[in-house]
Amino acid sequence: MELVIALGMNGIVWGLIIALIALGLSIIFGLLDIINIAHGDFFMVGTVLAWAVFEGTGNYWLAFAIVPIIGFGLGALIEYAVIQPIKNAAALSIVATFGLSIILQESVRATYGAAPSRLTAPIETTIPLFGLEYEVYRLFAAFISVVAIIAFFIFLHRTKMGTWMRAVRYDPETATAMGIPARRVYQITFAIGFAMAALGGVVAGPITTVDFQAGVDVLPFCFMAVIIGGLGNLEGTVAAAVMLAFFEGVMASFADPTMARIGSLCLMSLVLLIRPHGIFSGATR
Amino acid sequence: MLELNGVHAHYGKVHVLQGTSLEVHNGEAVGLLGRNGVGKTTTLKTIMGLVPATGGEIVFDGRGLTDLAPHRIPDTGIGYVPQGRGIFPTLSVKENLEIALTKAPPSQVTDYVFDRFPRLKERLSQPGGTLSGGEQQMLAIARCLVMQPKLIILDEPTEGIMPILVQDIRREIKAVNDTGVSILLVEQNIKTALRLCSRIYIMEKGTVVHEATAEDLKNDTETLHRYLGVTV
Ligand SMILES: Nc1ncnc2c1ncn2[C@@H]1O[C@H](COP(=O)(O)OP(=O)(O)OP(=O)(O)O)[C@@H](O)[C@H]1O
Ligand SMILES: [Mg+2]
Repeated sequence: MELVIALGMNGIVWGLIIALIALGLSIIFGLLDIINIAHGDFFMVGTVLAWAVFEGTGNYWLAFAIVPIIGFGLGALIEYAVIQPIKNAAALSIVATFGLSIILQESVRATYGAAPSRLTAPIETTIPLFGLEYEVYRLFAAFISVVAIIAFFIFLHRTKMGTWMRAVRYDPETATAMGIPARRVYQITFAIGFAMAALGGVVAGPITTVDFQAGVDVLPFCFMAVIIGGLGNLEGTVAAAVMLAFFEGVMASFADPTMARIGSLCLMSLVLLIRPHGIFSGATR
Repeated sequence: MLELNGVHAHYGKVHVLQGTSLEVHNGEAVGLLGRNGVGKTTTLKTIMGLVPATGGEIVFDGRGLTDLAPHRIPDTGIGYVPQGRGIFPTLSVKENLEIALTKAPPSQVTDYVFDRFPRLKERLSQPGGTLSGGEQQMLAIARCLVMQPKLIILDEPTEGIMPILVQDIRREIKAVNDTGVSILLVEQNIKTALRLCSRIYIMEKGTVVHEATAEDLKNDTETLHRYLGVTV
């Protein structure tokens, strides 16, 4: 029983981190029509940068502040160099971002190396929770993810840039005719998407391994969350990520992780059979 | 104030505008008529930079528009009411209204707009998509007004509007024009165009083929029949 609770808790924590990362994937897809195969690698770059900050300064907390900013810059740069040239050719986005994924992985392998390593959490204490000793850092990770997700929604609904993002998403032509710099909105959206994945990497760093292939595992999970949540439905993405990870966590307590993943793929197929536009379609758009 | 000289535009390889020329003077209301698909919307989109001009020049207040980034064109003083109104349905009425503003407009502007459109004021927090067609059209016009334009171009503002509301929209456009703002009006509804505009251009296959004062055109049944297929 304790194992089920522990893995279920871990599932929820991981689900919130995935929600943060998948939210970035979802806004990039929603606004730019880009299917970002490199999104898992944005997360991976976040973990590696967090590792680098820790190695360089000895202070993991700094990574929470620095890495999202670097991610934002990298995102803006990549949008300019890779995404803008293929605008209006959405089908090319899979090829282009797949290439980007390889470039990011190989750059990390060439610099950081191929050997995975582990980071020690900046908080190492545990507290008793539901009859088990639970790592405080995992609770902190969940907290940071929730704060970042809420901050993003506030940004989307309360700031000029957020309003512009919603307008451009609906009708880029009219938005432009009203004076909105759609080009810049696309670039900032992509940059925010990278920053969110990178922050996810910092948060997850101490509870996963730092590895140039870390994104390969995260990407399908994010896609599942985006699809089950309903394409382009941001709130749905968040809810689906948490549910999926909780489900996989509980499954993993009595089956091996591969079976758990198969289980959640089956769950996704089932959801799509019953509700082809995602569980939360029609609720909010 | 606005001048199009031999403007060309393409959609891919399709040559849609084939040397369109027209002019709108300060304070004037000008109509642009023509059958379906002759290029009226494309003309307006080319003015707004949404469709790139592939030839000719577009000058507004002495300034060439074709080299300007499209999102800078509203700043020069041109407001645009697109065909189908272009309201963002998931944005609130207030967000729709202020979408383009980086700073709040002077209070006399907002007072004026809310005076004219009291129903928008009551619905500020409602999503734009919940407004009726007529209210959305008012919102589209109000959205231009808060930007304090010198010229407003409107693409079939009475299309798909309940007949009893068509008069209201006409009245609002007239009121805007009376404050000295120039109007370039694309219409299928000839009556609306003849009422509001002093001069009318008629387009056919991507060029302007006829120009007349509204007064003359009203009685020119032959032209009306030939280019617009109406018998009055
Ligand atoms: N995005 C597009 N791609 C290709 N062709 C287009 C596009 N938009 C319009 N066209 C074509 O260009 C021509 C002119 O279209 P436009 O919309 O300017 O006509 P219009 O005079 O506004 O017609 P309506 O009265 O129906 O609004 C038409 O033949 C139309 O089929
Ligand atoms: Mg049209």
